[in-house]
Amino acid sequence: MANYKEAPLASRPKTLDPAEYFNLSPDYRRAEEKRAALRAQLKRQYLEQLNNPHRKELIEDPALTRWTHARTNNNYFRPTAKTSLIGGLFGVLPLFVLYVVFKTDRDKREAKIKAGTYERPYKLST
Amino acid sequence: MLKVLIPTIMLFPTIWLTSPKWLWTTTTAHSLLIASISLMWLKWTSEAGWTSSNTYLATDPLSTPLLVLTCWLLPLMILASQNHINPEPINRQRSYITLLASLQTFLIMAFGATEIIMFYIMFEATLIPTLIIITRWGNQAERLNAGTYFLFYTLAGSLPLLVALLLLQQSTGTLSMLVLQYSQPLQLNSWGHMIWWAGCLIAFLVKMPLYGVHLWLPKAHVEAPVAGSMVLAAVLLKLGGYGMMRMMIMLDPLSKELAYPFIILALWGIIMTGSICLRQTDLKSLIAYSSVSHMGLVAAGILIQTPWGFSGAIILMIAHGLVSSALFCLANTAYERTHSRTMMLARGLQMIFPLTAMWWFTANLANLALPPLPNLMGELMIITTLFNWSPWTILLTGLGTLITAGYSLYMFLMTQRGPTPNHIMGLQPFHTREHLLMALHLIPVILLVAKPELMWGWCY
Repeated sequence: MANYKEAPLASRPKTLDPAEYFNLSPDYRRAEEKRAALRAQLKRQYLEQLNNPHRKELIEDPALTRWTHARTNNNYFRPTAKTSLIGGLFGVLPLFVLYVVFKTDRDKREAKIKAGTYERPYKLST
Repeated sequence: MLKVLIPTIMLFPTIWLTSPKWLWTTTTAHSLLIASISLMWLKWTSEAGWTSSNTYLATDPLSTPLLVLTCWLLPLMILASQNHINPEPINRQRSYITLLASLQTFLIMAFGATEIIMFYIMFEATLIPTLIIITRWGNQAERLNAGTYFLFYTLAGSLPLLVALLLLQQSTGTLSMLVLQYSQPLQLNSWGHMIWWAGCLIAFLVKMPLYGVHLWLPKAHVEAPVAGSMVLAAVLLKLGGYGMMRMMIMLDPLSKELAYPFIILALWGIIMTGSICLRQTDLKSLIAYSSVSHMGLVAAGILIQTPWGFSGAIILMIAHGLVSSALFCLANTAYERTHSRTMMLARGLQMIFPLTAMWWFTANLANLALPPLPNLMGELMIITTLFNWSPWTILLTGLGTLITAGYSLYMFLMTQRGPTPNHIMGLQPFHTREHLLMALHLIPVILLVAKPELMWGWCY
């Protein structure tokens, strides 16, 4: 820690900051110890399950469960201005745009076929 | 027809009278025998269109590939279900196989029907075993919701069809497809006729499913047990396509104007559902949305009513049926081992199951329509005929193909490559039964590369 010199493109990382390790209040130290104890408990729980030779099932990961629940159950959708705009822009507008595009294209072709001026560009049997 | 139908009905006494030790062996063998007999239908004997010995059940080049697919799928479903049903009491196992066999009977009668009303009755009848399979043997609590969505979406779509069919019977005096194909074109020029047109098609569009009304499909496919997912993806969706192809004959010339919204929904749906696939975390949900995407292509191909469109639709239906069912079987093998459908969990499987990685690879390549597999044949025919219909569609279908390749590769890389989680233990090695299941799914796909004329429908 004493040897680290800051450079123009390399600022001092938090882990090498002396303020993190010296001049800490006792309250802060107690809180950190409690947190470390909780972490160690969780880690011990996990390692016990991991190294249990009789375990046959998955270790349940609550974070994964929460993540999959959040990703799959989108019950928190609220129609706001932004979501309505996105929904309209990607869900409703393309349908109308495509209708206009296809209809005009097909009508032009129908008119040409009826007038007899349509030259078939490809010899397809479709 | 009867040479397949009667053995299928005889499957019921087989199920209930065999001793418990031989139940699965006997039913699998019996259904394999039915499947091999059904291959005889592929020999198209009559040049007059329909092959039949009576006027009620007949096969023609459109229904034959679908019938063979249905018959082929029953032994595969029984093979796939063997593991997860085995712990249950014997009578419940028998009921499960009875449901699969009854589904088979209804499907054979549906695809072989010549009277449209019989097709309708069988179409509705298939809902009941499927509903029971999903709601009774599904694995999560959401299965009730899934069953409700499945039942009511399909029923709500098909009630107008009943009315439309009765009206058709009133006006033409017959509902036999053998007769209707020669009838005079109907005078369709009023608003009432347009509603009749919509009524004829909505049931099948909901079943296909079309993009706007596809909400039942991810729920039903995900919550169903493996045999339910297989039969849903492989055959029940094709009932919608088959019904549409049969009804389109009578619906001209209104279809030229009225089909636009549905074609547009189908094409836009390819892109939307493909994009949703890229964001899925649940493996079965990804495969379900990919089914919607492929069926959107089929729906567009059918709705533009060209010969290539129909051929492409049939080919894609058969190929997608086999491949989608194969993917659901693979997803089930992962589910049976980890009891979770999360893709992040069952990662890096190539390291522990190398032979299965080959099946995953082939199935995913087939899903993204790799040449020379029939998936590409169907997709290319539909894309070409859509391009001929209107060149602007190539933007949508091309983007759709790109996204399909994207999510198929995503599925493969997510499940096979990457670091194997090291807290997953006790994964049973792959059973021979599961390898056999995958082989029986993918070998027909590869064989169809050699003789695709079996699937081309009337254009052969």
